[in-house]
Amino acid sequence: MNRGWITRSMMLAVGLVLIVALVSLAGCGKKAEVETDPAAGAGEPTEEVPPPPVAEEPEVVVDEGPDYATLDPSEYGVQDVYFAFDQYDLDDESMGLLSRNARAMKEAGVVILISGHCDERGTIEYNLALGEKRARAVRDYLVSLGVSAGQLKVTSYGESKPFAQGSNEDAWAMNRRAHFERP
Amino acid sequence: MIRTKRYILTLAMVFAALPGLTMAQGRNSEVIIDITREAFIKTDVLINELDVLAGGISSADAATTMSSVVTNDLRLSGLFRVGHSEGDADSLDFEFTIEGTVEGPLRDADQTGENGPITISLNLLSYPQRQLLMNKRYRPLPSQMRATAHHFSNEVIHWLSGEAGMCLSRIVFSRGSGGRRDLYVVDYDGEGLLRLTANRELNLCPSWSPDGSEIAFTSYRRGEQGLFSLNTSNGKVRSIISMEGLNYGADWHPDGKELLLALSQSGNPEIYRITPQGKILKRLTVSKAIEISPSWSPGGRDLVFTSDRTGTPQLYIIDSEGAGRRRLTFEGRYNDSAVWSPNGDQIVYATRVGNYTQIVVMKSTGENRRVLTGGRWRNSEDPSWAPDGRHIVFASDRSGVFNLYVFDVVEDSFRQLTFGNDPDITPAWSH
Repeated sequence: MNRGWITRSMMLAVGLVLIVALVSLAGCGKKAEVETDPAAGAGEPTEEVPPPPVAEEPEVVVDEGPDYATLDPSEYGVQDVYFAFDQYDLDDESMGLLSRNARAMKEAGVVILISGHCDERGTIEYNLALGEKRARAVRDYLVSLGVSAGQLKVTSYGESKPFAQGSNEDAWAMNRRAHFERP
Repeated sequence: MIRTKRYILTLAMVFAALPGLTMAQGRNSEVIIDITREAFIKTDVLINELDVLAGGISSADAATTMSSVVTNDLRLSGLFRVGHSEGDADSLDFEFTIEGTVEGPLRDADQTGENGPITISLNLLSYPQRQLLMNKRYRPLPSQMRATAHHFSNEVIHWLSGEAGMCLSRIVFSRGSGGRRDLYVVDYDGEGLLRLTANRELNLCPSWSPDGSEIAFTSYRRGEQGLFSLNTSNGKVRSIISMEGLNYGADWHPDGKELLLALSQSGNPEIYRITPQGKILKRLTVSKAIEISPSWSPGGRDLVFTSDRTGTPQLYIIDSEGAGRRRLTFEGRYNDSAVWSPNGDQIVYATRVGNYTQIVVMKSTGENRRVLTGGRWRNSEDPSWAPDGRHIVFASDRSGVFNLYVFDVVEDSFRQLTFGNDPDITPAWSH
């Protein structure tokens, strides 16, 4: 909870810095004025704006690259990984897919939550543990490919958030996965 | 004190040679049943309608509620057969009778604006001698009628059997689908369903504190698990602990001063003892395997839990310092969710056979293993003991959706407790 809050505060701060940078560009560099202008912090008048190291290169931030923090990982090419029944090890196909995921994640540079999922068979409790094993296996492999460990969080929903309904092999196969989401 | 008569019935080694056709899938044609169990001869009780000495419709309603709730309570205990008229003496051998009076205000509150008290007097008598054995007088609020009847039922059960009744117990469970599950609580007889959480999250695996004042449960905040506690008198939720990874499977110690919990902060789930404020007291397991689902023995000296260190999840017992590990299950390739019975002599758990999960009960020594739910039960999971040590609640999808069922391990009878369209899982019976 703390970490989530800090992340949000940081995003908020970066956002404010962006606004400051934009306004300062438009307003021919009257930075000092902008910072004290209450309109600049419209939604959050009480937030204090930290010293802006990022603002030194505003043109980079303003570039047309996607705002990854607002996107679902699937929207920038990150794909889910599937598992065999009762298993949490990665096969060759999964490892290939994770290499592509790793490139997209490094490019995005934002925090991603990896959630482990199981099919409905077995107990709620053991499936929570199995789901976490799957999520951790994926995280460990991504870290070995150079993705920053601090960028990856893991959780498990066990069998409680199925992607496909039904008690058959097709549905079960769809539900044994590690899914990537925006935290 | 008059006690329920107890007999031991033994059905040993019944061989039945069946024709080859019906056993086409079996390796041989022998069915062996070896059951050694206790059976109880029930006590027959006559429950008379209560006399309404004074009062309006609400008094008459109170009288009806009293007799119907007490009748149901005595039947659900498994200890009694109940009749309602002397004529039933043809088939029932009455030993006791219950009768009483209701005295309320002459006009009901909605007519007079007065909220006069209703006085209820209930008697337990011997039959046919009519010797007064017990009298209880109550002055309940209108909202307390069922609880009043349950209280009297507990007194009757305790007087007649020496056992504590479970008529005021409740069951907390998780209901929902689509990534959202809320905690609900229901009286042990299926009445009084109440939702406890509404936070658009998964809320799972509740555990009652011994005095019933708190329910520890697992929930998620921004995708990450934590253990929380719900105050049952005001509904307020507080955070207990939220370490990185899993924080689940809580089981309150019988003294109420600590809990068992599985945490995966070390990289994989291990069993810990923590305080109700979330301070870690001791880590009890160390391995690379999954170690989850702890349950205290009634005295709080030992605990049973699940470990897959051999490659499949199996049950183990250790003491409260983590020492003395011994494996409890050797049958089945998937055993989990063990719970110790209130008097310590039995353990109930879930086992997976093929695609289905079944409920198994056995002695806490591992002997007399017995599957309770085969065949038509499809999946049955998450067992929890009633305080009487005779009934178990669990979730089963035998109707197509997971609902809760109460199973009597003495008679092998069952009743359906919940009837929702959304799945009900992880029930916990109050102590």
